[in-house]
Amino acid sequence: MSDLICENYPMVLVMSRFGIALGFGEKNIGEVCRQNNVDRCTFLTVVNFLTETAYSPIPAESINRCLSLKSLMTYLHNAHDYFLNFRLPHIRRKLVEAIADCPEDISFVIRQFFDEYALEVHKHMTYEEKTVFPYVDGLLEGKKDPKYNISIFSKRHDQIEMKIVELKNILIKYYPGQGTHLLNSVLFDIFATEEDLATHNRVEDYLFVPAILALEKQLK
Amino acid sequence: MNTTLKIAIAEHSAVIRYGIEAILKRITEYRMQFIEIANHEDLQEELRAHTPDILIINPAFPGSFPITQLREETGCTHMKCIALIYSATNSHLLRAYDDQFNIYDTVEEIKLKLDRMHLPEKTETFDNEDEQQTLSSREKEIVVCVVKGMTNREIADKLFLSTHTVITHRRNIARKLQIHSASGLTIYAIVNKLVELSDIQQ
Repeated sequence: MSDLICENYPMVLVMSRFGIALGFGEKNIGEVCRQNNVDRCTFLTVVNFLTETAYSPIPAESINRCLSLKSLMTYLHNAHDYFLNFRLPHIRRKLVEAIADCPEDISFVIRQFFDEYALEVHKHMTYEEKTVFPYVDGLLEGKKDPKYNISIFSKRHDQIEMKIVELKNILIKYYPGQGTHLLNSVLFDIFATEEDLATHNRVEDYLFVPAILALEKQLK
Repeated sequence: MNTTLKIAIAEHSAVIRYGIEAILKRITEYRMQFIEIANHEDLQEELRAHTPDILIINPAFPGSFPITQLREETGCTHMKCIALIYSATNSHLLRAYDDQFNIYDTVEEIKLKLDRMHLPEKTETFDNEDEQQTLSSREKEIVVCVVKGMTNREIADKLFLSTHTVITHRRNIARKLQIHSASGLTIYAIVNKLVELSDIQQ
């Protein structure tokens, strides 16, 4: 397990989103998963998917049948929680502090931009939590909602990292005040979040959605 | 420009699909994202969903219609189409394609073909960037209107333009500044002193 994390830092986030804490000693992945009641197959599927560089949708038949949608949803849910309740508020605090020295009107519009963005992410993720996850829960119990199917979701699923890319561009190109260590650090947080959100969306589009499609077919 | 090329590979054989992907990945000058299309039933739907920049397709792939028609029907009008050749093919059929990959091509040959396809565009955008990334005074006027929350119709009326022209201006603004949202433009406008905060807070 520690080899995995050290070779690929972002995996530390994956691990914690599956509910595995640090401090696992020399144990291997299987043991750590067992100890934490994490579905090993789902964990490995996500890790393999993220370390793979080609991002094509996984054909439904090649998704391992042992993949647990329940487990995958826990992972996605925890990721949402991380973005909404930790990552974005954290960036906001730092950002507000970093731009405190620039003229009031500018810091005002930057804050406003960020808040609008955070609201968008909120909407995006709440939709998944309130609509998509309950739908999948129903499917798992063998109930198919005739009014909904997962392609509705994939059609309206947009790339939520685009607007944070915009904020990054704006800060880089037009920020008028003195650059500070703190502002640089905010920028690095934004880079990381951009990447993280993009991967998060990829897991949803290319792993979660195909798995549900397969389940829908089965239930027909 | 740090763009990702979206490359769709339409081919029945998994061995060949993976082979092409593996070769393309060795060309490190481009960032690529692959869309694999294994079944001809999925072709149109996948193209519509992903609007790839490049489609590599076996001309024998059923449903590859006339390429021009495929482009139109899937809304991928700018998509480059590369024929994937591994048997003797009627040259007449290949005329509609932008280029061909032969199954015996080396990595260098393939890279050359990719470069040929994309360099003209790249140099073009670089020229543009040199020329002007800053906004013209007309464009600045439009930024101010957008930031004040005016609709395209209102902007058109105020500046005596057609809405069509306003839309074109807005597209150019978005391209030059890499800012697509109204709230992003607000920051730009405030920083560059095009408007005062009090103008937009009414």
